[in-house]
Amino acid sequence: MTMSGKIELMAPAGNFESLQAALDNGADSVYFGVEQLNMRARASMNFTIDDLPEIVNRCNKKVVRTYLTLNTIIYDHDLSIIRTLIDAARKANVTAIIAMDQAVIAYARQVGMEVHISTQINITNIETVRFYSMFADTMVMSRELSLRQVKKICDQIEKDKIKGPSGNLVEVEIFGHGALCMAVSGKCYLSLHSHNSSANRGACKQNCRKKYTVVDQESGFEIELDNEYMMSPKDLCTLDFLDQVIDTGAKVLKIEGRGRAPEYVATVIKTYREAIDAYYDNSYSAEKVEGWMKDLEKVYNRGFWSGYYLGQKLGEWSEGSGSHATQKKVYVGKGAHYFPKPGIGEFKIEAYDIKVGDRILVTGPTTGVKEFDLEELMVNDEKSEIATKGDSCTIPLDFRLRLSDKLYKIVKV
Amino acid sequence: MVVVTLQRQKCIGCNYCVEMAPGQFRMSKKDGKAVLLNSKEKKGFYTLKSHDNSIFDPCLQAQKACPVHIITAKIL
Repeated sequence: MTMSGKIELMAPAGNFESLQAALDNGADSVYFGVEQLNMRARASMNFTIDDLPEIVNRCNKKVVRTYLTLNTIIYDHDLSIIRTLIDAARKANVTAIIAMDQAVIAYARQVGMEVHISTQINITNIETVRFYSMFADTMVMSRELSLRQVKKICDQIEKDKIKGPSGNLVEVEIFGHGALCMAVSGKCYLSLHSHNSSANRGACKQNCRKKYTVVDQESGFEIELDNEYMMSPKDLCTLDFLDQVIDTGAKVLKIEGRGRAPEYVATVIKTYREAIDAYYDNSYSAEKVEGWMKDLEKVYNRGFWSGYYLGQKLGEWSEGSGSHATQKKVYVGKGAHYFPKPGIGEFKIEAYDIKVGDRILVTGPTTGVKEFDLEELMVNDEKSEIATKGDSCTIPLDFRLRLSDKLYKIVKV
Repeated sequence: MVVVTLQRQKCIGCNYCVEMAPGQFRMSKKDGKAVLLNSKEKKGFYTLKSHDNSIFDPCLQAQKACPVHIITAKIL
């Protein structure tokens, strides 16, 4: 929970772009993995142990908490790197470790590091909460619980005064938005079975996202399916019943998406920030939800459903491969120079044209995500309506442009 | 001659190569990633050259098993 008493908005960060996007759009905390032992080892290996001080430094400036994910299955040969990572996290003042394996939990507690329980542990009842309260201050509830069940657990924690090692009441965390897995709490064998690539070591090949047919081997008869994406759940979205989510007494709202693009993090965090703030100032309304949903649909999604929170028994499956987003980004060029006094950025156009009126996206490791309408642009010191491949163009900016920044335009799908 | 390579930095430490070719691979206790024994490093690629052709099959198995495709085994 945050100091203000509001539910904590926890953002994913797969790289510095996403981290900055989360910080700029109102996250209260961020979670990230370093090196190989996290559930996105394949997708976003771009933080290393040496990045920890920089991550914490950036977050501290905005009083944002930092959580290091160390939540894979652990083998004997991992024990030493686990200790190295936890020691490094402690030295860098990372707030807590998100853990699944008892070896990780035990060592983190041994050195006095705060522990959060990962979804991989799949907590579904109050006695499990009581058990892990010996080690952890925050625990994420199983994504398969209903809100009624989550509320019951939260109420019982208050009633029984179940406290974590910090001496405070255990805080319940709940998944708010993002991809869901067909397997219970991500404990899936499919990718290992087909590709030798274990989801539980962060190397999921996402076979569940493909189309499948069902054939009766005896007769060769193919069963007709309404939807061949029979194993690919739609994405979880709780925005339209966020009031009920907060009313459960959960203290942390987790947004999934360490493998997703920085503009995804920016949009989803911004939207949920507004929704949470609206809930607390009593302005959360159906009209606002409608506007927010339109924003969420712009970025990567597989279609939305409410998960199991409202008591639904069967999953809802996505209706196509990949994203259903209403818009996408196309690469245009990169940052070349910044003139700080007039606040003008120079870009080298390497791919598509941009013209006045386009919706522009600039992303970078320090810049994060900046999105704006292009109102004016200059090519070779002359005002122009369009800049094409090979041009150097200048655009007035309200942020500092860096050489590592990339320029995109946003187009409707 | 058998040539085996390992692009070590991308290793996720799953241990399959050790299961397939225990004579050529070990898991590092230091960083939990695979080590290709008796190899030489150049720009992040570790290469083992051996005249013992009997190591080819196990190393090929390791190549096939590696989930992140960072192992190659060839007979020259």
